[in-house]
Amino acid sequence: MALLTEQEKIAAVGSIRPIRSRNFALTVPALLLLVVFFILPVVSLLLRSVMEPEPGLQNYQALLGSTTYLKIFLNTFSVSALVTAVTLAIGFPVAWALAIMPKRWASIVFAVLLLSMWTNLLTRTYAWMVLLQRTGIINKTLMGLGLISEPLPLVNNLVGVTIGMTYIMLPFIILPLYGVIRKIDPAILQAAALCGATRWQALSRILIPLAAPGMVSGALMVFVMSLGYFVTPALLGGTANMMLAELIAQFVQSLVNWGMGGAAALVLLVVTLALYAVQLKLFGTARMEGR
Amino acid sequence: MTFLQIRGLRKDYGIVTAVRDVNLTVERGEFMTFLGPSGSGKSTTLYILAGFENPTAGDILLNGDSLISTPSHKRNIGMVFQRYTLFPHLSVGENIAFPLKVRRLPKAEIDAKVAKMLKLVRLEGFEDRKPAQMSGGQQQRVALARALAYDPPVLLMDEPLSALDKKLREEIQHEIRRIHQETEVTILYVTHDQEEALRLSDRIAVFSKGVIDQIGTGPELYANPATRFVAEFVGDSDFVDCRVLSAQNGRADIAVGSSLTIRGVPMHGRAAAGGAAALMLRPERLSLARGSVGQGSANLAATVTDITFLGSNIHVAAAAETGEALSVRLPFGHEAASSLSRGDTVSLGFDPASAHVFSA
Repeated sequence: MALLTEQEKIAAVGSIRPIRSRNFALTVPALLLLVVFFILPVVSLLLRSVMEPEPGLQNYQALLGSTTYLKIFLNTFSVSALVTAVTLAIGFPVAWALAIMPKRWASIVFAVLLLSMWTNLLTRTYAWMVLLQRTGIINKTLMGLGLISEPLPLVNNLVGVTIGMTYIMLPFIILPLYGVIRKIDPAILQAAALCGATRWQALSRILIPLAAPGMVSGALMVFVMSLGYFVTPALLGGTANMMLAELIAQFVQSLVNWGMGGAAALVLLVVTLALYAVQLKLFGTARMEGR
Repeated sequence: MTFLQIRGLRKDYGIVTAVRDVNLTVERGEFMTFLGPSGSGKSTTLYILAGFENPTAGDILLNGDSLISTPSHKRNIGMVFQRYTLFPHLSVGENIAFPLKVRRLPKAEIDAKVAKMLKLVRLEGFEDRKPAQMSGGQQQRVALARALAYDPPVLLMDEPLSALDKKLREEIQHEIRRIHQETEVTILYVTHDQEEALRLSDRIAVFSKGVIDQIGTGPELYANPATRFVAEFVGDSDFVDCRVLSAQNGRADIAVGSSLTIRGVPMHGRAAAGGAAALMLRPERLSLARGSVGQGSANLAATVTDITFLGSNIHVAAAAETGEALSVRLPFGHEAASSLSRGDTVSLGFDPASAHVFSA
């Protein structure tokens, strides 16, 4: 903004034109990159969804009219919702602990969180496969302790997908939540305690409402990212609970049906944008200022 | 039975001792202020009372029952904090109703109490405002209403006015006094501002380095400070180095410089004959005369270094013969002061009985 007003001042003197065009020129490489490698392919994919094999909406009819595909949609949403709920349930206490623990400890925990984010996604997913499989460490340990008599089915099913995706999504909910919780004065919770609120009452009536903006933005981010997730469900999930991204990949790679793939992609895009609009409407500008 | 009793309270943080040995009894309905500089242990003592800190040793008895093992939310104590601690997502009315709601009182009773509290702090008509829409002074008044809504036996106040400007502070000090009189709640008030302490309190406990140096009413502390620290912290004071010649029955004969001997000065602490001590004088109790007065009486010779006109009184800074910087407060219109100028030699007289000697 400051840059713009500066430019406006220069404009008043009359020497604006070369500067503005030069600044605009700086954005051209990035814009070109976006247009050529992102916008054009997306548009062409979407076009193919109404053009192939022949012009019309028959791809969408097939997609939305078949129970098989609707099941996949439903599964995608329920897995995403489940992952979001579990991530929130695990992430909230972590974010709270980070906000109140000594700075030195918090920076160590952050380092661990970020380090895991920087590690290759495929590596992390394969690591979970090793841990969760029938002969993996988790099953072996539980059996060794005598807690179970035969291996638990932890992979190639909903359990595996939920564990793997929750782990990957955690930082995306912890970071925004941490930002919100850190701004809450601990004295407010002390005041609540002296007012007679039990820990649970202070949590449910004070801390959670105050952290709500961070919870919603984090949860929406996780939910939207989960909707389009491919690697983790493909590796840790079973055929019984296929997700939308897997379906798109199958249409394009195995069936070479660009029309159906494009249609599924558009449905995903529309849902994502709609959710983003909801978030903007709820928490975009008016946050907690008591409006 | 004593209403509130603090016995042998001690709090260690690792190798640092914040509170060493605090003993105190408070009567029901009393306004007791903890006065002291930061780090003197006054806030730590208050936080132990609130249950936010556990004492290393000692006990707190309310009506004879120990509070130590009771968690904060069951102590039924009210508190107003230094920072603004209203719940930002709740309206003023909801903030005041919060302690009543967590106690699961019937709605009609809550509504009546909220209205009563708003009236008490003179904020009727504000119940639908959000804290962010109110000034700092208004927010602290709501905090006061919230802390009193459940009729706590004790109200703790931790420097509640330190974030406000001077004028507003005085206004709310009046409000606090009025509310104390109306509700007859027992108040423990923490401040580092001696003027605030003197204005508000029935009694003041002066904290220094983790212990209470002295407990008394404002006039008692001012007229008869138990330690040099109390003398310095409550009111303005001048100190002159001296030597104790002899001491008995709480009075000392002292020598200042080489030639001046003063007899019968109230003495605090122990000092053997010949020991070093400090003579404490109040700036407004000093009389000033031009030139030098004869030897032998309680008169200090000094040279004027600065004169400041402060409206109702005139502040004269002077250097004693022995080197100490002294300050003298004279009423406006004082005869000798009107023609005084820097470098003049003056004689500062005082009544030995109103002075104090503190052993070094």
